[in-house]
Amino acid sequence: MPRIFINGHPVEAEKGQTVLQAALAHGFFIPYFCWHPALSVSGNCRICAVEVEGEDLDIACNMPVREGMRVLTDSEAVQAWRKRMMQFITLNHPVDCGICDKAGECTLQDYHYEYNGEPSVSREPKVHATKFFRLSARVLIDNERCILCSRCVRFTHEVSRSRALGIQNRADSSLVRASEDGRFEDDPYSDNVIDLCPVGALFSPSLLYRHRVWYLQATPSVCPGCARGCTVRIWHRRPDWALHALDGRQNEAIARVTPRENPAVNGPWICNKGRDLARIFERPRATQAMLKGEPVALGTAVDAARRLLEGARRPVALVSNWGSNEELEAFQRALGGRVRAFVKEDFSPAPGEPVEDDLLIRADKNPNTAAARALFGDAPPAFEDGTDLLLVWGEGLDFSRLPTRVPIICLNAYLQPENGHADVFLPVSVQTERAGHYTNFQGVVSAFEPCFAKRDSVAHAESLFAALASPPGPSP
Amino acid sequence: MSWWERMYLPEIVRGLSITGGVFLSNLWRWATGRKGAVTTFYPEETRADYAPANRGKHILTRRPDGRPQCVACNLCATVCPARVIEIEAGFDPDDRAHPKYPLRFEIDYSRCVFCGLCVEACPEDALRMLPEVPDLPGHDRDRMWIGREELLDWSPRGDVAKPYPPGGEQVRPGGAH
Repeated sequence: MPRIFINGHPVEAEKGQTVLQAALAHGFFIPYFCWHPALSVSGNCRICAVEVEGEDLDIACNMPVREGMRVLTDSEAVQAWRKRMMQFITLNHPVDCGICDKAGECTLQDYHYEYNGEPSVSREPKVHATKFFRLSARVLIDNERCILCSRCVRFTHEVSRSRALGIQNRADSSLVRASEDGRFEDDPYSDNVIDLCPVGALFSPSLLYRHRVWYLQATPSVCPGCARGCTVRIWHRRPDWALHALDGRQNEAIARVTPRENPAVNGPWICNKGRDLARIFERPRATQAMLKGEPVALGTAVDAARRLLEGARRPVALVSNWGSNEELEAFQRALGGRVRAFVKEDFSPAPGEPVEDDLLIRADKNPNTAAARALFGDAPPAFEDGTDLLLVWGEGLDFSRLPTRVPIICLNAYLQPENGHADVFLPVSVQTERAGHYTNFQGVVSAFEPCFAKRDSVAHAESLFAALASPPGPSP
Repeated sequence: MSWWERMYLPEIVRGLSITGGVFLSNLWRWATGRKGAVTTFYPEETRADYAPANRGKHILTRRPDGRPQCVACNLCATVCPARVIEIEAGFDPDDRAHPKYPLRFEIDYSRCVFCGLCVEACPEDALRMLPEVPDLPGHDRDRMWIGREELLDWSPRGDVAKPYPPGGEQVRPGGAH
């Protein structure tokens, strides 16, 4: 445990740590662009330079701690150095923060206010480069904004291992480019480079100019895309910035999804499927309770389902593995004693989707199979003779595979043709409308919180189960 | 209340004589060609006593080619204390200098407080306020939004601070985009 001094304060550093790591771990901030805790040291941005008493300035990200070293992170020499480095880094930067989607969460912008704050010293015209250059269908690059920190390049070499990005040419004509064989297109983790980019050089064409970041708020959530259960942040419009004249659907839409760092599950990354959660949650929703396809009030449908359950002698339930731990337990508590329950696979891998890899993606494309199987066993659904009621919770089930002439109670959140074939259909809420927990395949439990308010015409499955188990009310 | 006040009718007569007196004196002044009450016949007539510094109408300036100067940066919408400005941005990859432009630009005049912070915040001199009063009356508060086309519909010939276009050709309303 080498003992070092940062700005005069004694700090117990870990052996093998760099000065930057030791300083950040003990609350001393040193600015950095190219360094990233999960990537190798590149040392090209030079902004993290610190002064060691009795020595020259050097970069903290590549300086191993030595017993007794006295580091100054904010001396006059360091401040002057940072200012010069900021002038150099922004030499050809277009400073188009007004129309840059990164503005508001941009490291370069923050550091400029913190460490430089002055106009450019250069009188030379800025070097122009390609803007909106397509690295893949999901990632564009503005080479004028790029500060060549090489984080994205190192990410594709060290983490996603597609080795798809590189830097061409030299000096101020350097350009980050994707390999021509389309590897970056196929990289299932490519969108992480957008978060990694310390400036606004890399961005997603689908989100371009849609939002300014300060209009958004992040709700902690869990990606339901596979059994890994990566912790994510779901960004959506802040209620106090709700739109009135423009399209009001934006107030209740997912703006973007970013990883929420979690060393136990996903580290700082998520895959591209997790970025596209809007494609899962913003499918057309089922909002109308139905009896044999005929719209009825939710309470009427619940009563009908309750009577069916009362009269059934051998009911079978297919339980959704998209249900949260709370919902699964509520099901077990309310109906577990009366209903034979099997775990249903709501989703199987879509055509063309990466099935499994050694980084994050798992073959089971459902978030809570582990908790569902722990409660209801892992036997495949079986319908023995005499089954006289089916309760189907969730989607992805072909009703033609079910025994015929058996009444069906169906709980689903999305508009699907099967809903109308059920004897009783009850619309339920989706993950972005409720709080809960998922247990991933390793047994790690992660919590998610609601982003949007639930509509009155749909019910939380958790309260439906309790209502179904309670004694029947007066029949209408 | 005193006994006299509880009699009711005398007090009613006294009140009516006050309002009736004001009415009749105003009527007499009006009939003899002088200014009576401060009533203005809005909207045919606007008040004459607005301060010369009053700025009551937003406008969006145009670039020489007729496109809006606005780059949809949302700084005006962000600084607005009443949060009445909403902008939907469009993307034009062919316009290298101005790839972001406003598809829609909406100001809610039912909530605007005419503080002018939006004009101060604008980095492009795209938003200004004129010493006019917009045509505000309406039957529905939710329909007092003024949109992009009306904001852009401004003839800048008489503006000395920023003549448009900088040299020569006349700007036609309703240009590109």
